[in-house]
Amino acid sequence: MADSNESLDTWFKREIVAHEGALERYLLRAWPNPHDVLDLRQDIYVRVYEAAAKARPYAPKSFLFTTARHLLADRLRRKRIVSIDAVGDPDALNVLVEDLSPEHRTAAHQELRHLAEALDALPPQCRNAVWLRRVDEIPQKEVARLLGVTPKRVEKHLRKGILRLTAALFGSQDPRAVPRLETQHEEHDEGEDGHGRG
Amino acid sequence: MDGDDSKETPGHRALQDEAVAWLVRRDSGEWTQAAQARLDAWLATSTAHRVAFLRVEAGWEGAARLKALGAGHSPGSVPPLGAWGQSPFFEPSPRSSGSIQTRAVERIPRRPWFAMAAAVVLALGAAAYFHRGEPGDRYNTPIGGVAVVPLQDGSNITLSTRTEVRVELNAKERRIELDRGEAFFQVAKDPTRPFVVRAGDKRIVAVGTQFSVRRTGDDVRVVVTEGTVRFETVALTAGSVARAREQDLLVQREPLPVAEQILSWRQGYLTFHDTPLGEALSEFNRYNAHQVNAADPQTAAIQISGMFRPTHYEAFVRLVQDGYGLKARTSADTTVLSRE
Repeated sequence: MADSNESLDTWFKREIVAHEGALERYLLRAWPNPHDVLDLRQDIYVRVYEAAAKARPYAPKSFLFTTARHLLADRLRRKRIVSIDAVGDPDALNVLVEDLSPEHRTAAHQELRHLAEALDALPPQCRNAVWLRRVDEIPQKEVARLLGVTPKRVEKHLRKGILRLTAALFGSQDPRAVPRLETQHEEHDEGEDGHGRG
Repeated sequence: MDGDDSKETPGHRALQDEAVAWLVRRDSGEWTQAAQARLDAWLATSTAHRVAFLRVEAGWEGAARLKALGAGHSPGSVPPLGAWGQSPFFEPSPRSSGSIQTRAVERIPRRPWFAMAAAVVLALGAAAYFHRGEPGDRYNTPIGGVAVVPLQDGSNITLSTRTEVRVELNAKERRIELDRGEAFFQVAKDPTRPFVVRAGDKRIVAVGTQFSVRRTGDDVRVVVTEGTVRFETVALTAGSVARAREQDLLVQREPLPVAEQILSWRQGYLTFHDTPLGEALSEFNRYNAHQVNAADPQTAAIQISGMFRPTHYEAFVRLVQDGYGLKARTSADTTVLSRE
C-alpha cells in the first residue's frame, strides 16, 4: 500500500485503534446491549477513517469519542423501540473523554503482561506458531517445518493468535465485557477448529 | 445487531476473519504482485474492510512487544508457559488473576534474584545468566533485558540492557566492577563498608545512596538521585550528572526529576526532552540488535521529546516518520532515517 493512504493508515492505527479499550468501555456503559459493542466499534472506526481521509482531526481521541457519541445518538433516534430509559448509562454519553480511561495509559509492562497472558492462553501449537513467527521472525514455511504441520495449519494458528493478541493489546479489559466476548470467540474458534482448512 | 443496522456492516466477526486471513496470507512468504492487487482491491471495496484490516495489522505489529520477553532466548525454541511470570517487566499487580502468575509463583523460589535467573535460564535453555566464581559473582543481561539483582547486604542493583557486573562483598568493602553497560545502585547504609563501583579506571564510592553508572568504552557517566557519592575526587550530590572521558570530568547539576528521567529505563521507558535524534537513536540501539541510524547530521540534529519503549524501535521509527516526514530505509538489521 505505497499510496497516499499509507500515512492515514499509520495514523489510524496509532491514534485511533490504540484507544480501543477505552472506546469499548465507553460503549458498554453507554449502550444497553453489550452484544452490539463490537459492531458499533467497527462502524465508529469507519466513520472516523472516512472523516480523517478528508481532514485529519486535530485531537484524534476527542474526535473518536465525539464520533462515537453521534453514532449512538443516531442509532437511538432510528431505533424507536429503544427508549431513552433503556440506555445503560445516559450520563456516560456526556462523560469527559479524559475521565474514560485513567487507566488507559497502561505502562508498557502491563501491555506486555496482557500480551503474555493472551499468548499463554492460546492452544499449545497455536502459541508455538505465534512465538516462532512473531518473536523469532521465522518464516511461516519454516515454522511449519519446525512444528511438523502443514503451512495451511500454521496460517490457521496465526489467524487465531493474531485475533487474540489484538484483543489483548487494545481490547476492553472490562470484566463485564471480556467473558461474554471471549465466549463468542471460543464458540467461533472451536467451530473453525472442527472444520479445519489445514 | 438488529436487522435495520445490518446493511451498514457485514458484521464485525466475518470482516475480522477476512481481514486476518489477508494479513496472514500476506505474511506467508509467498506474496505476489497479483495477490497484493487483490488485497488492494479488497481494501478499496469499503472502508469497513480497510479499518478491520488496519486493526489486526496494528495488533500484529503491537504483538512484536513480546520480543521483550524473548530477549536472550535461543531462536527456534519456545519458552515454557509462564516463564516470564517474574520478569522485571511485570510488577506485581493486584488484578492479575492470570494463570501465568499462579504458575510462576509455584515454581519460583523465594530469593528474587534467583527467580529472575531461573526465569531467564528457562528461556535460554542452557545459557548462563549468573556465574558464581572468582573474582566475585557475575551478572549480565542480554540486549533489551532489565534485571534487578538484590545483594546480601540489602543493596539492589538494577541492570540495564546488555550489562555485565561483578560483585564482591567482603568485610572491608562492597566492590562492584561494571564491565559493560549501565547499572543503577540502591545502596544499603553501611558506614563500615564503603560501596565502590569501578568502571574501567574510574572509581565511584558511596556509603548509602542511589546512583547509576554507565560505561561506554572508556566513557563513564554517573547520575545521582539520592545522597552523595564520590566520583574519583569529586563529591556528587543528588541531581548531579557527571561525565568522564579520559582525564576530563564534566558535572552538570539538574533538578532531581530530570536526573530521575535519565534513569527511566528502570521503569521500561526511555525519556527524551528536546534530545537530538542521533542521541535518542543511540539509546534505542543499546536495546536492540536492529540498529537505527540517521543518514546525515541534519537529520541527527532534529530534536525530539517523549517517552518510548526501548525495545519497540519500530514504533519509534513510525512516529518520527510521521511526525517529521522522515523517510526510513530498512534492511534486515538496520534502518536509516533521512529527510527525503
